[in-house]
Amino acid sequence: MVVVTVIDRDTQSEVFAPTASAKSAQELWTELNAFYIAEAWLLDERKLHEWLDMFTEDLLYFMPRRKNVPSREADREIPPYGTDLPFFDEDRKMMLVRIQRMDSGMAWAEEPPSRTRHLVGNLVVQRVEEDGTVHAKTAFLCHRSHAEYDTALYSGYREDVLHPVDGTWKISRRTIVLDVNVVLDKNMAIFF
Amino acid sequence: MAGTKYEILDPETGWLDPSIYTDQEIYRREMTHIFGRAWLLIGHDSLIPNPGDFFHTYMGEDPVILSRGSDGSVNVLLNMCRHRGARLVRADDGNCNSFVCSYHAWTYGLDGELEYVPGEQEVYYGELDRSKLGLKRARVATYAGLVFATWAEDAPSLEDYLGDARWYLDMEFNRSGKGTYAVGPHKWIQPINWKTAVDNCSDWYHVPVSHASAANAMFRVLGEPRFTHDRLFQMKGRAAFVNGHQVQYFKMPEDSLAGQSKSIPTATAEDDTAEAVERLGEFRAKSVVLGTHSLFPNTVLGFRLAIPRGPLKTEFWHFALASNADTPEQQREVLRVHTARNGVTGHFEADDVDNWRQVSESGLSGTYRELGQRVNLGIGHTHTDDVFPGALSDRFVSENNHRHFYRRWEEFMNADSWADIPLDPQKATYEGTAGMNE
Repeated sequence: MVVVTVIDRDTQSEVFAPTASAKSAQELWTELNAFYIAEAWLLDERKLHEWLDMFTEDLLYFMPRRKNVPSREADREIPPYGTDLPFFDEDRKMMLVRIQRMDSGMAWAEEPPSRTRHLVGNLVVQRVEEDGTVHAKTAFLCHRSHAEYDTALYSGYREDVLHPVDGTWKISRRTIVLDVNVVLDKNMAIFF
Repeated sequence: MAGTKYEILDPETGWLDPSIYTDQEIYRREMTHIFGRAWLLIGHDSLIPNPGDFFHTYMGEDPVILSRGSDGSVNVLLNMCRHRGARLVRADDGNCNSFVCSYHAWTYGLDGELEYVPGEQEVYYGELDRSKLGLKRARVATYAGLVFATWAEDAPSLEDYLGDARWYLDMEFNRSGKGTYAVGPHKWIQPINWKTAVDNCSDWYHVPVSHASAANAMFRVLGEPRFTHDRLFQMKGRAAFVNGHQVQYFKMPEDSLAGQSKSIPTATAEDDTAEAVERLGEFRAKSVVLGTHSLFPNTVLGFRLAIPRGPLKTEFWHFALASNADTPEQQREVLRVHTARNGVTGHFEADDVDNWRQVSESGLSGTYRELGQRVNLGIGHTHTDDVFPGALSDRFVSENNHRHFYRRWEEFMNADSWADIPLDPQKATYEGTAGMNE
């Protein structure tokens, strides 16, 4: 059994977890980093169908709200899945609706399309399961420029569940948490 | 200012003055003459179920606390300390026993009474009359769980304010005695004038165009119906206008989406008909469905608020309302549809904002101000009806409600007080047992 060093998501301490593949922690980190960099380029180059192919058939694309709550009630800040009105709660079909409409030339929120730049980093491998499933967390900055002078800067983090499939990775569950309460953008017709 | 009379719409031609979207003086007057007077939808009973619960919301530009007192009463309090105006509440919601100012710790009860002031004897010399320094309270009233508030002492009752718009609203909000609950909201900032989002609630002319990409993709992927021009031009439902409130209704079974849509929500369970008939009567329960609607001034499409933040800035709040009568699976589907279509990420709503923004900014163009907008669709093609209350369009697609909305705007802006603002007489027949709050 190969053992890699990862950061436990709850305690933020280093733990050792077995992996199904013969990868060191460093190899896994490097491979995932490359995966996320490739993903960011697909988004910024508007290759949305190729981007969607990085997800599994049973994907969940989830973005909860972020509430203002007192620090002692921090457990209420991010409403858990299934309890609230999130910004995104999408399966593959709904993601396909969102992407197909971009192909139509009549998705006015993105016509002409935004200029985006996703910077993804701070990769932490949180957990590796017996079957090779990886739980990973990344931080991102995304700048959006639209039309003549509309701009928005999004920052946040993503927690992914990834599976090794045919020599690459597929994301089955993505949770995106923005660092914002009132979204300072006219609409959110881009992806993270 | 005083004596200014706004005539911004020519009802004969549909000419509309676009400076109503951009003029700072007009905006300031809207804050006092409209948002200072009207009953404003600000929240929902379900957001503050228990004593001590509070929810932070807005009446126009005014931050207010919606709180549940220890006796169960509902309070609406201006969230500004009577001392220097600092805010008592900074969280979106929560539960507490009192509201404490973070500047000097003036402390108020859930009902807004000023209960404690540091140094009351020592530095105020016992000369402070706390009884006169409670938080500013708004009048509050509820309809089917929806909480409304007004600053105007002379405003009519909420029931009279809604008038016969309630005949239509009941079909969605008052269908079940089990009531509804609110989830959300999404909050985001749109670079638009608030009125453009409101008048759009009766605008079905834009749907096949603005929302073509979303509707077509949903047709291909999910088998949802397309809203084509042909389909909309043949709809049997109509636009109705009562007291400033806009309603589009669908006539059943002719306009039904039954069998065509798997996910367009009616917000009610399929098997609720018996209860709905008891509460609303046979006709309203079975023959009419509430479509898009707005409440004057700034409630849009159900429980959603267009909160003014300046002539060209609007904060949008997008709640979902789910029915307590529905199964958990149905409630979940309602929330999923609300998440996907509207709100800041909605694939329908996303395509509206740049249009509204451009309509709003047309008021910045001196050249365009000379031309004016043309809100002239369906002028002269209107009627009234013995059963359906309000001013009715002859076709489903019409700008009759847009014109009425801007006439209503003039009535508020040109009034010195509520005594100058007319209310439509209530004439509708309310079959069934549903009332304002039962």
